[in-house]
Amino acid sequence: MNENTNVQGTSAVPRVVVVGLASCFGCQLQITNIEAHLMEVLGQIDLQYWQLASSDPMPEEFDVAVIEGAVTTEESEHLVEELRQKADTIIAIGACATTAGIPGMAAEGFIQRPGSVYDLVPEACGEMISPRAVGSVIDVDYEVRCCPIDAYDFVDVLQRALYGSNKIDSTATMCGSCKRNETGCFYTKGVMCLGLVTRAGCDARCVNLGRPCNGCRGLSPDANLPAAREACRAAGIPVEDFDKALEMFNQTDPALRQA
Amino acid sequence: MTKTAIQVDHIARIEGHGNVHVVIDGGEVKTVEMNVVEPARLFESMVRGRRFEEVPYIASRICGICSSSHVVTDLLAIERIFGIEVTDRTRALRDLLVYGSYLQNHATHLFVFAAPDFLGHKSVFPLADEAPELFEQALALKALGNELCTKVGGRSVHPITAVVGGFTHEITPEEYLELAEKLESMQEFAVSAVDLFHSFECPDIQTEGDMLAMGAPNRYAVSDSRMARFIDAALSFDCDEVDRAIEEYSVNHSAALCARVRSTGKPYFTGALARINQSWQFLGRQAKLAAAKVGLRPPERNPFNNNVSQAVEIVDALERCAELCRRLANDEFEGSSEPVPFQVKAGFGVGFTEAPRGALFHELELDDEGRVVRASIITPTAQNVANLEADMRILAEKLVADGAAADEVQLEIEKLVRAYDPCLSCSVH
Ligand code: SF4
Ligand code: SF4
Ligand code: SF4
Repeated sequence: MNENTNVQGTSAVPRVVVVGLASCFGCQLQITNIEAHLMEVLGQIDLQYWQLASSDPMPEEFDVAVIEGAVTTEESEHLVEELRQKADTIIAIGACATTAGIPGMAAEGFIQRPGSVYDLVPEACGEMISPRAVGSVIDVDYEVRCCPIDAYDFVDVLQRALYGSNKIDSTATMCGSCKRNETGCFYTKGVMCLGLVTRAGCDARCVNLGRPCNGCRGLSPDANLPAAREACRAAGIPVEDFDKALEMFNQTDPALRQA
Repeated sequence: MTKTAIQVDHIARIEGHGNVHVVIDGGEVKTVEMNVVEPARLFESMVRGRRFEEVPYIASRICGICSSSHVVTDLLAIERIFGIEVTDRTRALRDLLVYGSYLQNHATHLFVFAAPDFLGHKSVFPLADEAPELFEQALALKALGNELCTKVGGRSVHPITAVVGGFTHEITPEEYLELAEKLESMQEFAVSAVDLFHSFECPDIQTEGDMLAMGAPNRYAVSDSRMARFIDAALSFDCDEVDRAIEEYSVNHSAALCARVRSTGKPYFTGALARINQSWQFLGRQAKLAAAKVGLRPPERNPFNNNVSQAVEIVDALERCAELCRRLANDEFEGSSEPVPFQVKAGFGVGFTEAPRGALFHELELDDEGRVVRASIITPTAQNVANLEADMRILAEKLVADGAAADEVQLEIEKLVRAYDPCLSCSVH
């Protein structure tokens, strides 16, 4: 595949739509935040629909769908299914879309929740369903993780989606890259840090700024939860606190129940 | 006589999902509804039982664009409960964070969301060819807001470094000075933007609702006063009393919880226009000049002028932030920003800030282990929806009386919605 050919094997400019489900719009904002690169990237694609930035209606045909947000209503469940049918490539961006993220926290005991916020749940909220990641409704081709995404990660993934690449996402936990930063480990100070079990890839962004990792990249497939709980005990951190903190970005991850 | 129904699904260039529904029958405006169709995300139920440290982190995910404000507001509520006094330096940094989000929000709203309306475009992108200088400067302004938030908060969306009692990280004095210079160099463009937005033609309507803004005896307060004030009702209250002053209610056609002044039953406006009405005399020198030049001064009741008010606030924020940065670089504030030690205790407290889009309250009740018993969040947009609907009706009636066609009514109503700068995802709890 040469540089000017996209995944469809044609030289036509790929048509892209950007859709927001239940989210804070933060990931879409991150994309608008790379002003300089934005025009460069837009030059390579035909942005057909971006409700946040334009009043053009959603087209019937397109090649790539970028989805932000978790699926929390029947309507959005149907929408992502439709997007899957129409698009060749689906890119899920942000923790909400990739792990159900913060909206996913409501998945536990979901049924009683709306009534505890509203006296009468308004019809306009739609038919609510227990929050889930986009990937648990449809097949997702590419993921950009974190809450919010790093905009350059997005550009990188978009390039991969358009032109192909052999790069494989690492599944390792964060501690390896964190140790290289030589910031010292929170556990030696008796402070919990979820980097221990969280996917690497953000270069331990928060730890670098003096704050423990909250796990926004999601649980690493390589995570050893029993060993992590042991590390908490050794550091005098209640294991319940660790398990509770992990729910923040991994509530719907079956691995939390098994281990 | 004819019956016309105007239905706009998913109004573009606002944050969140909302539909407008207007019915005009025989020259009379029958129905005016703003339907927020955002899926509920149930934040208040999600934070219940969680430890206090996680609350600002989770609550900031209500809204990317006002994430700094949500974090600061939550920290204020927690610190109120624990009885924590932060240092002046920490206060200054929080002001910077909130102002940084003003720059981000106002620049995005004005140039990306609102300006295309007045220039006859569907998005901001054509401006890149048509008015490259304006386009570039607008993006540079937004980028500067991002940079300010990134330098102070560690990231342009969802700050990392702001925690209970202080900050986990600070930039160097040189970086503060560099920021100050950049802020000062944007000033000229910001002043010209006030003129630009003033030059856009808007329908002449007056809101009949009240206005709510933070008040302080001697400054244009955005994050460091506990006093809120309804301007028309002349009612000031401490933010701990917010439930007694504001009445929240739900309506079936919208997912947003609406709000009104409890004592008068009136809807109200909160946001840049209300702040200008409340604190005009405390604007910085350049902002005040720019405002005076275009005739923006209290009492100003045309909701479309929220746009011009935001432009004035950009001038003010640049001036103020540059000064804060210089003072931080010169170590003029008392104390360090390192988190102060504190003791966890049970209690109730309310945090209050002026988010870019208006008054934001977080009510929090913690148990003696610092876990959330109850949380309630009152966002600016939730407060504004009822007044927006009332103003939409005023606007529709005026236009229909002037003999405007349905598509013009629709366009002007969309403009009004965008002038309110709503964040519909925020308005749903
Ligand atoms: S992943 Fe985080 S930043 Fe992105 S939309 Fe979800 S809550 Fe917002
Ligand atoms: S646990 Fe956290 S601080 Fe410790 S090495 Fe891992 S990522 Fe770094
Ligand atoms: S350090 Fe953890 S919480 Fe912070 S960005 Fe990385 S994965 Fe997310």
